[in-house]
Amino acid sequence: MSEKKRIRVLIAKIGLDGHDVGARVIARGLLDAGMEVIYTGLRRRPDQVVRAAIEEDVDWVGVSILSGAHGTLLPQLRKLLDENGADDIRIMAGGVIPQEDISLLEEAGIDRVFLSGTSISDIVSYLTSESSHA
Amino acid sequence: MTNTAGKKRAAAQLNVVEPGGAGAGGEGEAGICHPGSDGLDRIAAEKARWLKETYAPEVERKGERMPFVYDCGIEAAPLYTPDDTGRSVDYLRDIGFPGEFPYTRGAEPGMNRVEPFVVSAYSGFGDPVACNKRFHFLLKHGAEQILVANDLPTQCGYDSDHEMATAEVGQVGVAIDTLADMEALFDGIPVDSVKRVGTLCNSLGPVALALYAALGEKQGIDWSRYTVNLQNDPLKEYIARGTQILPPAPAARLAVDPVEWCADHAPHWSPMTVCVNHINAGGAGSMKGCAIALANVVHYVDLLLARGRTIDEIAPLLHMFPDERHDFFVTIANLRALRRVWARLMKERYGAVNPDAMRLRTTVYGHGQEALQEPLNNIARTAFGTLAYVLGGASYVYIASYDEAVSTPTEQSLLVALRTQQIIASEHGFSNTIDPLGGSYFLERLTNEIEEGMLNTLAELEDAGGALNVIEGGIGRRIMTDGAVRRQRAFDSGERPWITVNKWRQKPDVPNTAFRIDPECEKRQTARLRQVKETRDGKRVEAALAEIDRACAEDRNVMPAVLDAVRAYATIGEICEIWRNRFGSFEPNTDF
Repeated sequence: MSEKKRIRVLIAKIGLDGHDVGARVIARGLLDAGMEVIYTGLRRRPDQVVRAAIEEDVDWVGVSILSGAHGTLLPQLRKLLDENGADDIRIMAGGVIPQEDISLLEEAGIDRVFLSGTSISDIVSYLTSESSHA
Repeated sequence: MTNTAGKKRAAAQLNVVEPGGAGAGGEGEAGICHPGSDGLDRIAAEKARWLKETYAPEVERKGERMPFVYDCGIEAAPLYTPDDTGRSVDYLRDIGFPGEFPYTRGAEPGMNRVEPFVVSAYSGFGDPVACNKRFHFLLKHGAEQILVANDLPTQCGYDSDHEMATAEVGQVGVAIDTLADMEALFDGIPVDSVKRVGTLCNSLGPVALALYAALGEKQGIDWSRYTVNLQNDPLKEYIARGTQILPPAPAARLAVDPVEWCADHAPHWSPMTVCVNHINAGGAGSMKGCAIALANVVHYVDLLLARGRTIDEIAPLLHMFPDERHDFFVTIANLRALRRVWARLMKERYGAVNPDAMRLRTTVYGHGQEALQEPLNNIARTAFGTLAYVLGGASYVYIASYDEAVSTPTEQSLLVALRTQQIIASEHGFSNTIDPLGGSYFLERLTNEIEEGMLNTLAELEDAGGALNVIEGGIGRRIMTDGAVRRQRAFDSGERPWITVNKWRQKPDVPNTAFRIDPECEKRQTARLRQVKETRDGKRVEAALAEIDRACAEDRNVMPAVLDAVRAYATIGEICEIWRNRFGSFEPNTDF
């Protein structure tokens, strides 16, 4: 166990949405679960998040987005990661996202969408099981 | 039948000040129930006996259902009796009468018996033309006040054609770039046809106030004939809501400019609402949330006093937005405690003598633990939440629509929300008696505990340097995140029940039928902005913008200059850009 690399996660806020309590609670929860966690702070552009993700060499970017701009900003983030040679960095998103948008986001390369109200333990077990498959 | 009669007597004892008891009582003797000191001792002893002999064996056999701790951190006792308040509450000193100091029982003399709370709507989406139709719908069905929800670019000081506005135009509120948008938004709605009109715009208070002042001019309605209400409380944005633009100190300085301007030009307006809402929702809880908001009040008030204004002149221009979403009785006690704390703060610390300075008016927004699962259940949750605010004596009452956790409300959900407010105002006899739960052993005890909690936390925050240090030193954020994590654990563990989420669990779902913003809205709005820029007098705009910058540099009130710029159709983005250049931008905080 000890030599196994700890999961590294960048929790990010993209766009103008200023509600970051959910993001901070998830960040704390993942930290408590033994992961390495970095938080971007508010109001980042997708290119800034991509730069931080690559510099910090994370396994996951977790984006919290509640403003309704998910359909544009999340695929843009995926595209920028891929273009910058970071196609191994995976994306999970959290927020209030309608079912039909979730399918579209999955097609655009977003690995997993968690709706508001998801328990921390569900997110931890998802990340843990995904990482052990890798 | 004798049982019923007994109950009636007990109730009468609670609510009526007995002639012999209260007036004659010295310090600590004029409690809400007046058995005298010996009597209280006997009751306390009897309660201890009841707990041991009657209650405990039952708990022993069947167990208690859950830990009974309120979200604000106070633990609930199984039963409250006269000894819980008899010594600590002095009726005339601490409770008093509605419309009189310390305003525990209500800010106004007649409360809902005379003038029901104002049925208010917070609404906005898309572009001004689309949103105008929604406002007409709300007014037709009885909304009395409209608070405009603006989209995030507007609230963050970016025009609709700015790079940062991409995909956000019209999304969580209506896009406003210039006065032309305000004219379209209020087409056919004279500003004096509603009780109050206004918006949040926490980080651009002077621009927002100028837009509503100029709108009155355009409609030919004198400032004296309508009332503008703004949130304009930037300090809470740094720890809770996230629409900050500038560093906190210059943001607070700009926020008090509209207050000072109103003192001279529109003293009946309400240019600042100091908010607990987002601070509580973000994790601080309602009691500590009030303390953080009160520290912000102190900062704003001190800035205004330093300009030579008097407390009696400026305090009536401020009001507060308390918030509690989890616990019904805490909501009621919280409002009562906050009014008392405000009254004493204004009188004892600031020396206010004007009753309007000591009388706290409150805006509230009825919520509950709204869930994405089975959203119709949120109708029950928000109704209870709103009822608690009304029983607590709120002045301006909003309510969340049942689908508000999902999206901008539909017309149908909005109508249900509006009708819920009207039902609470008129049915069930809720409004017949002022402060109907006042005098309850439980509620008075809870009011006291909450007041004490607010004051203790406020003292800690002031010891730590006050509002700006709460933000910059990270204390505020720490209180928020700690609280949010505690709340999340209580839900994850099931300690705090949440129907359909952790009990009778259902899968969360955001239906495809959720309200969607017309995707063409962004194009329409940027086209409108382009047109305004092409047709306005560019020289006049430039001169007005330069004067705003001079007012900032010379530390003058920016309101007159901003009003001139708005009249000349300067954009919100252009005005905020001047502030960004002069004061710098806020630093995003990466702590968690």
